[in-house]
Amino acid sequence: MADKRVIVVGGGLAGLAATVRITESGLPVDLFSVVPVKRSHSVCAQGGINACNEVARQQGYSEYEHFDETIYGGDFLADQPPVFEMTHFAPKIIDLLDRMGVPFNRTPEGFRDLRLFGGSLYKRTHFAGATTGQQLLYALDEQVRRREDEGRVTKYEHWEFLRPIIEGQGDQARCVGIVAQDLRTMQIRAFRAEAVVMATGGCGLVFGKSTNSIVCTGAAAARCYRHGVWYANGEFIQVHPTAIPGADKCRLMSESARGEGGRVWVPRRQSDTRHPNDIPAGERWYFLEEKYPKYGNLVPRDIATREIFKVCMDGMGVGGGNQVYLDLTHLPASTLHKLDGILEIYSKFVGDDPHKVPMKIFPAVHYSMGGLWTRHVPKADHRGLEPGNPGQMMTNIGGLYAFGEVNFAYHGANRLGANALLSCIFDGLFCGQSVANFVRDNAPTGATPQALLDAAVADESARQDRLIRGPEGGGSDPNDNAYLIAREMGEEMTAASTVVKTAARLQQALTKIAALKARYARLRLDDTAMWTNQSLAFARATGDMLLLAESILLTGLARKESRGSHYREDFPDRNDADFLRTSVSKFDAAGGTHQLSYQEVDTALVKPRVRNYGKVESTAKSAAPARQPALT
Amino acid sequence: MTTNESFMQRNYFLLRRLHSLTGVMPIGVFLLFHLTTNASIVWGMLDSREGATALERGVRTFQAEVDFIHSTPFLLLVEVFGLWLPIAFHSLLGVYYARTGRPNTGAYPYQANWRYTLQRTSGYIGILFIFYHVATLRWGWTWMVPGGVEWKHNFAASTMAQILRGGDEWTAAGAAVSAAYFVCVSMLVFHFANGLWTSAITWGLTISARAQKQWGYVCAGVGAALMLAGWASVLGFATIDPVKAREIELRHAAGKGGAAEVLPAPKP
Amino acid sequence: MNNGTPTASKPRSAARSITVRIKRCDGPGKPARFESFKVPVEPGANIISVLQWIAAHPTTDGGQRTTPPVWDSGCLEEVCGACTMVINGKVRQSCSALIDDLAPAEGDTITLEPMTKFPVMRDLMVDRSRLFHNLRRVKAWVPIDGTYNQGSGPRESPEKQEVRYTLSTCMSCGCCLEACPQFTPEPDPAAWNTSFIGAHAISQARLFNLHDTGKELATQRLDALSGPGGVSDCGNAQNCVKVCPKKIPLTESIAAMGRAVTLHGVKRFFGVKD
Repeated sequence: MADKRVIVVGGGLAGLAATVRITESGLPVDLFSVVPVKRSHSVCAQGGINACNEVARQQGYSEYEHFDETIYGGDFLADQPPVFEMTHFAPKIIDLLDRMGVPFNRTPEGFRDLRLFGGSLYKRTHFAGATTGQQLLYALDEQVRRREDEGRVTKYEHWEFLRPIIEGQGDQARCVGIVAQDLRTMQIRAFRAEAVVMATGGCGLVFGKSTNSIVCTGAAAARCYRHGVWYANGEFIQVHPTAIPGADKCRLMSESARGEGGRVWVPRRQSDTRHPNDIPAGERWYFLEEKYPKYGNLVPRDIATREIFKVCMDGMGVGGGNQVYLDLTHLPASTLHKLDGILEIYSKFVGDDPHKVPMKIFPAVHYSMGGLWTRHVPKADHRGLEPGNPGQMMTNIGGLYAFGEVNFAYHGANRLGANALLSCIFDGLFCGQSVANFVRDNAPTGATPQALLDAAVADESARQDRLIRGPEGGGSDPNDNAYLIAREMGEEMTAASTVVKTAARLQQALTKIAALKARYARLRLDDTAMWTNQSLAFARATGDMLLLAESILLTGLARKESRGSHYREDFPDRNDADFLRTSVSKFDAAGGTHQLSYQEVDTALVKPRVRNYGKVESTAKSAAPARQPALT
Repeated sequence: MTTNESFMQRNYFLLRRLHSLTGVMPIGVFLLFHLTTNASIVWGMLDSREGATALERGVRTFQAEVDFIHSTPFLLLVEVFGLWLPIAFHSLLGVYYARTGRPNTGAYPYQANWRYTLQRTSGYIGILFIFYHVATLRWGWTWMVPGGVEWKHNFAASTMAQILRGGDEWTAAGAAVSAAYFVCVSMLVFHFANGLWTSAITWGLTISARAQKQWGYVCAGVGAALMLAGWASVLGFATIDPVKAREIELRHAAGKGGAAEVLPAPKP
Repeated sequence: MNNGTPTASKPRSAARSITVRIKRCDGPGKPARFESFKVPVEPGANIISVLQWIAAHPTTDGGQRTTPPVWDSGCLEEVCGACTMVINGKVRQSCSALIDDLAPAEGDTITLEPMTKFPVMRDLMVDRSRLFHNLRRVKAWVPIDGTYNQGSGPRESPEKQEVRYTLSTCMSCGCCLEACPQFTPEPDPAAWNTSFIGAHAISQARLFNLHDTGKELATQRLDALSGPGGVSDCGNAQNCVKVCPKKIPLTESIAAMGRAVTLHGVKRFFGVKD
């Protein structure tokens, strides 16, 4: 086993958990990340991580209930065995994190405290203040640093993944390594491995301003897609109901704000210009509580987002604008203390003190339910996955895995809050074992001809040269600039393909993307230095984002129904007969086209049912004329 | 050089802690006694039981203090091992450690940062001053003293006054020595008080920000009191008349059985 | 499409322009120069949005076409620690540096420089490998057996959780090191093990010594902190705690580790095991 290696691309929760588990099985890991792994986007997760525990269990909750909530929350689009396994595995993950030293909030007696979260009626979310993702990421980062210290992990930080190296075709295709670039020296080289794990997160930047970090371009996934890895359910993008719009990004205001008792409202009177604290309770419209008496402010995110969006569209937003109040001012100091992490963000970036005045929030792009297509091997009764089976979360390419947000497996059409951290770590630990077993059971890649690796490097170098030099006459128009192209792409994608979609608008966006692709083809870089060339990296990623954007629009256009986060105004109802299916995009490199197909969803355990979270029709409807808002 | 380095590295923690310790004990404690003793030239004046005039009370009290010190058996041994070696050790390591830092009060003009910088500045100045002080007053390097006066322990106040004036009468060089004493004593007092504050952090006696703050008040109090004592000493010696003081010292010596033969010859 | 952009309730200046001076450097060892850019700013803009604008419009105020500036950033909500730089002479996170605070008037100037304690890679981007290396020096991790299910971790009082949580919010941004007069540039990685370890690592040693399993490595951590470059190198300038964007009580951690190494040293002197 000595010369066998595994490559993990991405150092967020999924990548780090995978690294820890794979090294534990005796395999050395080469860990690639564009940022020091401690700065990965998982650090931004705030609210918590879901798992049934004893307290919840004694109130009638169970792992099965968690499973059912996740399936229902995802509008039945998720294959059920992986979700079943994940939710039943969850308590073990909490225990493990606890052992790693995660400072979970505690009850007075010293047990792990729980908070309420969206899509559940039970407290089952474990948390560390309002920076849970940060705390989990650090715990895993520390474990990886320990293994680095022991020489079992080699970190390649500030290295960018450029493409997988795939040997063979069709069923025989196997990933034998990657091409990566040192973002400092700009050196491009190939790395051989027995298996490769993609754990590269979401693609928020395709939508311009989102709650995502600057590195969440989705480029790594797009590069896999470009090289034959299938992409599934790309049209399902979660728009988080509560964020602060900003000049550079939208900053998340965690669902935990509502979990701890925060209330969403707008003035009942449309033109009410009073200070929010001067508006009496009777003149406030708590529209979520009114429409969803059972779940109140904690309806799932797709629903909360659409309701907030609708309120603003009806002209009922605060000050007539695209904003509603998220009010915490009534909560006791001890409760607010648990939210310090996010309250600080609000006061630092907005300048108002959320202890004293309600926050002004609006939905923002947050998470990609879709991602690289992965297989899973269920148990015979479909109640979970076969532990250690090498097939778990492997893409259509042998030995190439996708873990965490970059796969599509657990959240169906909408992710429940505090399930993302869970799915990332579950993948790393549970499916990390599958990677180790795959390497054990398969021949080493030593026999792969060096020429294959060299060709991949040469190909990427050539692509890079084309990008730097540009075509004949390229770069003459200053608008042919990757930063401007990316911005226009983001604005178009946000406007056309987020909360409310229509065929016409999606078509319009496709035309726009085509125009942007044409401009992209004329790019010539201002910066031709072969040292820490950020604009080169960004320009390359922009091309990949355009590819992903196109695929997201096409699958969204083809899905003529509304399900979870995907709401088609022209097809407002769920259509199980035609679309209780996973959409799978395959990129045809030769023709440069996206080929769409559908796969059956494994619904062996829970039959699809109506999903409305006990909605009652509101009577406080405003007569204001409808208008078209947009995410900012 | 390598052996020196490895010695430093091997005993790093011990040396660091000895540096901190020597600053407080014996050096700091000595400074405490030294300045209160010297200040007796002023607080002695307040003692109504002795002498007729304030000057007489001051000079006599101070002389008695000095006599007491000089009655210590094996004074030289005590000085060498209890004082000079610790000071040399504290100074040498202090310079070595201070040279590892890069003060940045320009960018970060916070109070604690100013104290950090001043701690090092006062250390450097203090080393030069202590050397001058010991060389001129203890080792008799009178060539460094304007007027060439030699300090005599049995004419403690009058010779000190001469040194600070440049002779029996004020000279410009003498005034400069007085000013230097004033500044350097102040620096050393600051160095001690601030060092007392940081040593409590170094040794882990004050941990919480609150404890550090409160200990800071204590150290500031100690510093202020010592500063007063230091200023009183310098101003006290600089303002007494050496001639009158010498007469008092002669009477004092005669009263004790006489040491008149060591009376310095009057300057021409 | 963008009607009704949400506005904050705080009154803000209308769109205007400011001058941004950026210290540029093409690579390690290359000479540094300043370039100025005239940048239109929207209300609520921060340093990152200004840099993003410059990257998209890389023309200096003298009309010279230049390369887009290089800088480090990540989450943009002050939790990842990437975007540390020296802004108007002081180190801080650039994402939370709002233009309305730094340059409130039309035409005001903001100066951006890279951190000075780490090697500059290019422009505003530095290499903070040493910072992470120092976390290894104090073995900043809990030595668990492995990731297989073994039940839960130790119980913990809310008070202790509160202390550990606060220490654990350190995002390795490097502000405490940049502002520290005792933490000086050290280009030679071979010297990193004996140069001053910095407030962040001392605080992490405290964090892990507080944990029931973490303290299994306490002796090794205290050995590291006793040696050259350890906690004794702290000069108590206490800039670290002033510039820490997460308000971590770094000076308390330094004192706590001072106490721990004192006891450790005494025990070692008398041959007693920790």
